[in-house]
Amino acid sequence: MSLRPGVRLAAEVRHQTILLARDPGPMIGYLVMGLLLIAATRPLYVALDRLTAAPAAAGTDQAAAGMAVMFSLFALKVGAAHLLNERTWHTWDRLRASPAGFGEILAGKALPIFVAVLAQQAVLFGVSAAAFGLHPTAGWPALAACALAWSACVLFLGTGAATLARTPAQLSAAGDIFALLTAVLGGAIVPVDLLPGWLRHVAPASPGYWALDAYHCALTGTPAQLGRPLAVLGVFALAGAAIAALISARLRAPSLSARLRPVR
Amino acid sequence: MNREGRVTAMLEASALVKRFGTAVALDGFDLSVAAGEIAGLVGHNGAGKTTFARVTAGLVTPDSGLVRVAGMAVTRSRARVRPLLGLAPQELALYPTATARENLYVFAGLYGMRRGEARHRIGQLADALVLGEVLDRRVRDLSGGQQRRLQAATAMLHRPRVLLLDEPTVGADPVTRDALLAAVRAVAADGAAVVYTTHYLPELDTLNATLAVADHGRVVARGDRAELLATVPGRAVVDFDEPPPSVTAPPGSGVEIRREGSRLTITAPEPAAVLAPLLAAHPGAAAHLRAIELRPPTLDDLYRRLVSA
Repeated sequence: MSLRPGVRLAAEVRHQTILLARDPGPMIGYLVMGLLLIAATRPLYVALDRLTAAPAAAGTDQAAAGMAVMFSLFALKVGAAHLLNERTWHTWDRLRASPAGFGEILAGKALPIFVAVLAQQAVLFGVSAAAFGLHPTAGWPALAACALAWSACVLFLGTGAATLARTPAQLSAAGDIFALLTAVLGGAIVPVDLLPGWLRHVAPASPGYWALDAYHCALTGTPAQLGRPLAVLGVFALAGAAIAALISARLRAPSLSARLRPVR
Repeated sequence: MNREGRVTAMLEASALVKRFGTAVALDGFDLSVAAGEIAGLVGHNGAGKTTFARVTAGLVTPDSGLVRVAGMAVTRSRARVRPLLGLAPQELALYPTATARENLYVFAGLYGMRRGEARHRIGQLADALVLGEVLDRRVRDLSGGQQRRLQAATAMLHRPRVLLLDEPTVGADPVTRDALLAAVRAVAADGAAVVYTTHYLPELDTLNATLAVADHGRVVARGDRAELLATVPGRAVVDFDEPPPSVTAPPGSGVEIRREGSRLTITAPEPAAVLAPLLAAHPGAAAHLRAIELRPPTLDDLYRRLVSA
């Protein structure tokens, strides 16, 4: 039976999908809030474009891309919370005691969350296209590539957050701060060019900055321009994966895992 | 059955030591359990029972010592050992927002069981553990007893060769307990080695389990219940309708005689053999005899004796 990783992964993916579907509120909330804010902020960005003589469509692009980045970061909290639940429900030890390897467990839990984040972005961009005429000049495949790369980043960051947080309260507070900071630095709320100088200098350190850059390239540029931001997002994703793997390796050490058990 | 035999032991722990900071959880813990055997592991809180289960499941690495499952060291052959183990930990470890059936399916899948195979096995266990009517209810809506049975079912799904049940009947009602104990007996009859941790010693009689008493991180008594009970003195409780005769036991005889009001309690390996000559020697007292009750030693007596020693 130990030689059936496919069966184990499928079982874990199916189960995680069920758990996500049983508690859809947060994901729906972040989707609805994203849509509302796209509609609410778009006139502001369009007006701003007139002042800066930017192309007419740039306002819609900024609103859609900004909200897609910001609310995917909030959705990250949902994924991280599901991982944390495994510890508060004591099921984490059951998973560790099973034949499933650590990578299998994480992959099984992460895949449905990855799909959920992708779906969230697809809806935000899809509605923006249908309602506000958003049209990626680099093509929809280019936009999809951005969404894939960014979702991977979000996923690895969420995995790290979940393994570090000990309680849902810690996760919620840290997740909110991280999401807002990354979104603001990335220019999701206020375009980077209008941020205070010191924030502009540190903005490239935020993965959100590169996500917004990638989305702007896909929405207003050409596929060739996507190379650099996607490469940087890839580096962020790899760094996130490395951190998650490092934390995972430490978590596999039973003594540390015991110390990281939730405070009850 | 060779309970202590190295060849037939499905589970064998030897000289396990585990410290958490300054606390010593396991201090030379030895235990062998043969295939088909149910070993009742008893001991006070902190005696090392749960740590032993966690070490065996590969969740805690011992500082020294070794656990072998089917001859394979747990720490060195985790990937090969884990499919052979079933673990129902002390705390409930289920997905509360999923249904009972969904919980069973995910654990079946984690042990590599395909959907059809899992469906069949879930049906069997649902019947055995009286879970059939609640399979499609969410775990958070189940009673404590139903959750306990479900947890045990998740550990038994893949027909483990070693089943670790850590206090599976805590808070369970008699019906729940009976169903669970019957299922455990069936698992053992199927050839699994079962380690059954409990504070409810009469359950071990129902399970016809062998006994292992843990104290301060080591097993202080191990063997057949009857053999271990034979080492514990029984009691004769004699009630009179007036104060009992003033008698004392000869020093070093292993007999203890206690007077309380109109009651005389004799504790001895064979209390009846002490009582008969005593009454013969005090014919006046015998005339005032109201009742005699011979109390054979219980597992509780054995446990108290071992732990207090």
